[in-house]
Amino acid sequence: MTTLRKYWRIWLRTASMAMQAQLTYRLGSFGFLLGKMIRLFFFFAFMAAVFSHVETVAGYSLIETALFFMTFNLVDMTAQILFRGVYGARRTVSEGDFDFYLVQPCSPLFRMTCSSVDFLDIITIIPVIVMTGMVFARLPPLGWQSCVAYGLLMVNGVALIYAIHVLVAALAVRTQELESAIWIYRDVMFMGKFPVDVYAPAVRWALTVGVPIAVMTTFPAKALLGRLSAAWIIYAFALTAAALPLSWLFWRDSVARYTSSSS
Amino acid sequence: MKTYWVAYQIALQETLQRRSTLIMDRLGGFAVVVSLYSFWIALIGNKATFLGYTRAEMLTYVLALNILRSFVFTGRGWQLVGEISTGKISSYLVRPLSYQGYALALDLAQKTVHVAAAFFEVGLLALLVRGGLFLPSDPATWILFGVAVLLSSLLFFFLEFMVSSLAFWTSESGGPLFCFELFLQFAAGAFFPLDVLPLALRRALEATPFPYMVYFPVRIFLEKVSPVEALRILGMEALWLAAVYAAAMTVWRRGVRSYAAEGG
Repeated sequence: MTTLRKYWRIWLRTASMAMQAQLTYRLGSFGFLLGKMIRLFFFFAFMAAVFSHVETVAGYSLIETALFFMTFNLVDMTAQILFRGVYGARRTVSEGDFDFYLVQPCSPLFRMTCSSVDFLDIITIIPVIVMTGMVFARLPPLGWQSCVAYGLLMVNGVALIYAIHVLVAALAVRTQELESAIWIYRDVMFMGKFPVDVYAPAVRWALTVGVPIAVMTTFPAKALLGRLSAAWIIYAFALTAAALPLSWLFWRDSVARYTSSSS
Repeated sequence: MKTYWVAYQIALQETLQRRSTLIMDRLGGFAVVVSLYSFWIALIGNKATFLGYTRAEMLTYVLALNILRSFVFTGRGWQLVGEISTGKISSYLVRPLSYQGYALALDLAQKTVHVAAAFFEVGLLALLVRGGLFLPSDPATWILFGVAVLLSSLLFFFLEFMVSSLAFWTSESGGPLFCFELFLQFAAGAFFPLDVLPLALRRALEATPFPYMVYFPVRIFLEKVSPVEALRILGMEALWLAAVYAAAMTVWRRGVRSYAAEGG
């Protein structure tokens, strides 16, 4: 309990510092915020425009496709808010800041992944939550089991994204490069904007088993719509249960090999 | 000219030296192309056409996007912002060369590598999906498309250059640049053909320089416009380029005058 309280205080302090830094750069922050809103608006306009020409896409109606899109945004943005620090992992290592993390009385992994909060994403997630609520209101009545499965699979998705971020951070410590690794993940995540059913079987398989974007973004929405079997739900949780300890092991091994990369 | 040729060669070697970064960049871009292609194919379904595009034309649109993204959207904006903010640009300003020419040479090196990689990816995807590509039979279309793409690339370069030059006045120009680039990609048709948008919105976008960077060049390639219309598009694109170039150079000159050589 004491440890939890300590990490909560560290997170609050670093989050507060990040917010102050963003407030200092008002024009820059406004530009980034506006850009994120534009991206959201254009994709929503695109979806709406597409459905003015067709009834369904891969068997899903406009509202159902919107649910996939909003679920993708919720999971992705939550992860971005919480694990933003990984985006600067390579710089943290190459500029020597990681050496300081190692001597501080706090988990270096926590410092590396969670100690940088993007408040612009917190602002951006508000309209996303509102829009998700509007989508929910237009769905047919949902059973509580579906809602619980949706919530749990979303949490599972965020945990799986965390495992990927730990892998990327470990790669940065291990190689002092591969700064693009996190951007590959971002680009591949783009595929999660649409339900995986739109993809060819081989790509769908790759997105479910290889790079499990489907588990993070499509599974929660499919569970809510009652289109995900119990076997796939178990697979989703099992995958995360395996991915988390493996990523931690890889991180520990990478830190054990670290020999400091800066003076 | 020799100076810029040497700069191009060095930049080319540097780009090729960072192979892991290059491969990862391309892999990420390829994922976006596969994603867009799959979505459009799902939209077309069993229909012969969607929004006036056949399956082969839509496949060609998405594959052309990959090449155009590699050739058009690889400016030097973020580097310029960094160089102004850190003061590194001072070392370029005192050299006997044009910064724009130098930046264009570096940009061209990036384009060379990325376009070569894009052609490889496009070939691979075309082979994998076996959907049949639309290739224009009229040689004039290829020439018109080539000219359109060249102008698009310069248009993007100077637009981005202009927005990045805001760094002369504020250290926060990264935000506006990010916002500008996102808006530009959507408005240019780099994610979806603008035909999908409501007519009023499409007309509004067509009055800006953005669709001349992707949407119109691809329409020329797909022979969706007559040769006369294609020439009119090229004329408009050239006019936009002249206007943007003049504006970018004005902003640059004023920026250099107010530059205080902060940092290193």
